[in-house]
Amino acid sequence: MKERRVAVTGLGAITPLGLDVESTWQGLLAGRSGVGFITDFPTDKLRSDISASVQGFDPLTVMSAKEAEINGRVTHFGLGAAIEALRQAGLDVPRDPDTTPRPDESKLPVRPERIGCLMSTGQGGVDIFEQQILKSAERGPRAVSPYFITGVMLNAVSALVAMRYGFMGPSYNIASACATGTHSIATSALLIAAGEADVMLAGGAEAATRLNTVAGFGNARALAKSIDGDPTKASRPFDKRRSGFVMGEGAGALVLEEEEHAKRRGAKILGYVAGFGMTSDGEHITRPHPEGLGLALAMERALARGGIGPGDVGYLNPHATSTPHGDVAEYAALTRVFGEHLSKVPLSATKSLLGHLLGGAGAVESIATLCTLRDQRAHPSANLDDPDPAFALDFVREARGIDARFALKCSAGFGGHNCAILFERA
Amino acid sequence: MSGKQDLLAAFKEAASAVEKKKFDHITRESVVTELGVDSLALMQIVSELETKLGVMIPDEDLVEIVTVGDLCKKVEQRL
Repeated sequence: MKERRVAVTGLGAITPLGLDVESTWQGLLAGRSGVGFITDFPTDKLRSDISASVQGFDPLTVMSAKEAEINGRVTHFGLGAAIEALRQAGLDVPRDPDTTPRPDESKLPVRPERIGCLMSTGQGGVDIFEQQILKSAERGPRAVSPYFITGVMLNAVSALVAMRYGFMGPSYNIASACATGTHSIATSALLIAAGEADVMLAGGAEAATRLNTVAGFGNARALAKSIDGDPTKASRPFDKRRSGFVMGEGAGALVLEEEEHAKRRGAKILGYVAGFGMTSDGEHITRPHPEGLGLALAMERALARGGIGPGDVGYLNPHATSTPHGDVAEYAALTRVFGEHLSKVPLSATKSLLGHLLGGAGAVESIATLCTLRDQRAHPSANLDDPDPAFALDFVREARGIDARFALKCSAGFGGHNCAILFERA
Repeated sequence: MSGKQDLLAAFKEAASAVEKKKFDHITRESVVTELGVDSLALMQIVSELETKLGVMIPDEDLVEIVTVGDLCKKVEQRL
């Protein structure tokens, strides 16, 4: 079988920096931070009182009042980002299964059974969980909503997208904690390359900043605090004073499409997934492998699948969570993969501005990487006031032009799950 | 105060709360399966009524319900 190349034909994002891809990307280029103090619930007993929150998103702009009520904020974001991506790809053709007969398939841009959706989340509808458990505690289990299960199931976003558009190809959820979005894109590319689908809506979403999740991450000592009273300084990957990550929320969605399929229907190609690699540390539930071995192997696989060497990569968008050990392990992984080339590859840490979107992180950061390739311009990595001398890297401190055909994005999640994606410019 | 009318009003209110739309056209003769609400929504409506009126409708009773009036009757018996 001829190799099926995977193109990107649509992007969508809802982030703490904006409610679409362009506002998010311009915010990143301007070095704007999306981090602020938590105002939704009391933080006096928590170890961290900051987060990166999405501002001003109204779910009623993308779904009915009933759907908005029975689904969690994560699903609101996921569907919002999906609609933007599908619109850009020319595939935003909703179908109401109750009232609309199945359309003439020969007139559709994609055959329904050839398009699927891996729009994933790591934590799911945490807000719905909290709300329904509280209801049960107050009024007994009979008061629990019959929509509780469908509201908290991790595949709620994929299900909603598939129902809205009548997708009949592979749709489900992949959960690998902070690598969820990245795994969803890589697996979608794999499904297209393997001939299981022609088009996939792929990405990740998260909206898990709630009292008990902040408590959980905080009690695990994973979260950063404000620096000198300034929340925007808390997320500082590769800086000496880094102390943890900042919980973020939002969603990123990509339309992946087999290249010939995209060309036949005249879709604009925004970039390519040129390779990917997926591995595990198989070691510890939260601590990364000290030499970043699993992550390095994922990156090596991505380069090998793309048929290129480390010297061909012109931009790096690493996981870069800003945790003391995570950044060290990742640097070790990058050193192993890139060797002498490493210090010459421009690198920016998207989490320094957006915080950590957890299940959405890999997707939104992949979008940032594709925008970098499109504009040949990299966004700044913030808060590198005093870079840790252990890291010999070419940090992008101010937005700057780059010359890159290939860019590498990688993610690592609790559980020891690693995923790397090699993107190529259009 | 008409208990019968109040229960119909309570049903309409519960249905509106669940489906986020008006159900002004409903009468006691309306067939439940023709209201345009699915089985999950119906269970949610029953749950809302239970909470509001402080009753519990056993599942055996629910099986027998054809019209909105049937449901109102089941609730009345438990009040």
